[in-house]
Amino acid sequence: MSPYDLLPRFKAQYDANNQEFSISGVVRPQAIDELGPSIALLRDAIGRVRGVLYVNVRRLTQMNNAAFHAFSRIIIDACRARPDLKFVVITSSVVGWTSRKFGRLSGIEPNITVEEYDSEFYPGQGFLEEGGFVPILRTQTKMTWRHERAILPRHGMRPGIVMADICCGIGDFAVLVQKEFQPSRIVALDHSISSLDYARRVMREFDIRGIEYTYGDASEMLLDEAQFDLVTCRHSLQIFNRPELILKELYRICKPGGRVYITNEKNSHCLGEPRAESIRWTYNEVAKLFGHFEMDVELGPKSRRYLIEAGFEDIRVETFMVTNLDGDSQDFADVIAAWADVYAGEMASKRGDCPEFVARFRQGFQDHIFAALHPKGYAGWPIWVASGRRPQ
Amino acid sequence: MGPVHHDLAGGPAFEPMIQIDMEIKAFVSAWRHCDYVSTYMARMISQNRSDSVRHSSLFSSAFNELLEVAFRTRHADGELACRVSRHGATDRIELIFPCVPEERRFYEEAVSQVAGIEARERYLNSVSGDLAPSREIVLLELAVDYNATLRVEDADGDAIKLVVDLPLEGLRN
Repeated sequence: MSPYDLLPRFKAQYDANNQEFSISGVVRPQAIDELGPSIALLRDAIGRVRGVLYVNVRRLTQMNNAAFHAFSRIIIDACRARPDLKFVVITSSVVGWTSRKFGRLSGIEPNITVEEYDSEFYPGQGFLEEGGFVPILRTQTKMTWRHERAILPRHGMRPGIVMADICCGIGDFAVLVQKEFQPSRIVALDHSISSLDYARRVMREFDIRGIEYTYGDASEMLLDEAQFDLVTCRHSLQIFNRPELILKELYRICKPGGRVYITNEKNSHCLGEPRAESIRWTYNEVAKLFGHFEMDVELGPKSRRYLIEAGFEDIRVETFMVTNLDGDSQDFADVIAAWADVYAGEMASKRGDCPEFVARFRQGFQDHIFAALHPKGYAGWPIWVASGRRPQ
Repeated sequence: MGPVHHDLAGGPAFEPMIQIDMEIKAFVSAWRHCDYVSTYMARMISQNRSDSVRHSSLFSSAFNELLEVAFRTRHADGELACRVSRHGATDRIELIFPCVPEERRFYEEAVSQVAGIEARERYLNSVSGDLAPSREIVLLELAVDYNATLRVEDADGDAIKLVVDLPLEGLRN
């Protein structure tokens, strides 16, 4: 027997509070007997619940037909024996085969429905991940890259490594890393199909090789564990409502001895002169606005704590300030204008802010732009960089 | 776009990607070999697909079913050959394994029924009615869930060659 055979390949559990039976991992038995305890658990769960039983297969990476038949039969038989009971199968759009395969069950029994789990985990991310934000994201990356290209080697970046860029967005950071540091392989993952389409188009047009863009959920990735020397996750923990879940996954896929590199902001520390007071007020309000949508854009200085609590060692933290003096000050102004459009536009509207508030809120962004373009002005956007090593 | 090559039968030419050969005795000595081989080959051939992780998951899922079919062969001698080739968005699996004459007839019949219009209905009937999937249903499922096309080709000696085309690159959830 090899060590591989000793690893638990799948796990089934029942959560009575949520009336949820979940099965995860690789379920490829030769004989149904091997599933005995899991099937007994499902039968037991069916016997206990009233109303709805949720069947969670979000992290079910593989299941052969033998196992699928066995579990499906139990669910179908239960539908026939208990017409009062409904089954909701929760699949993940990431896994690929589960929605198609489990989706067939609703054609057999109307009391079985299949729901593809998606963005409910990311309550506010929709503001940022779809739509016309691409040019601004590119400009932002151009501005931060001037700093990060010098910072990254202090956090484990070097030629030849295998790296993952989680929440890669439109993939421009991965491209810059590929050109500058030549890692042997980059896996770049994001949950936005439109961003990935853009990233792949750029890769094709510029004949870039060595980057694999993949669709995935950062909190439940299908990537194998312990395979990357460096895992980057930039400006993203701050827009998830449970960043510790993402960090747990970043830790999992990082090799022992490898590093996880995160960048985050503290929006209330955005600054500018002249008109400092108006700018400060608006960015304090930005932090509150994001907080309303369960996003913490004040996370930057908390990075150290998050990394320690996730189990990392040798934590390194530094900050840099993107400013209007870095390159073209118009770039800085364009980014602020785009923030104003989203924050004082769609987000403020969705929160139900009154016109007087929105006008004052928007004025702070305009003053920040004024500072950025003023011949004697100074405008800044601070970023916190942190990395930790996964223990050997 | 480059020129499209065609094979002798007039179909588009598939470029070979990877092949694994094993003694059938060695293969059937452990059930896990199906999982090992399908997972390994899926990873190898999916690296340059637009979404490598998703493609690998889908390919492994479909290929494992074929290997589980081959695992149940009643012929004790000979070789198992797994070959994967590619043309555009389609990956072709060629699985050659020893089988007795009645098994060959079974596969020919099963594959001919996969193409039938009521394939999906038969598959659903099996899921709702059978305790375990038959080999025929396993092949049917490849067509229903993965849009696979299947055929049986001649192979040397007491062997059968299953050819399965999987258009996974364009498959939506």
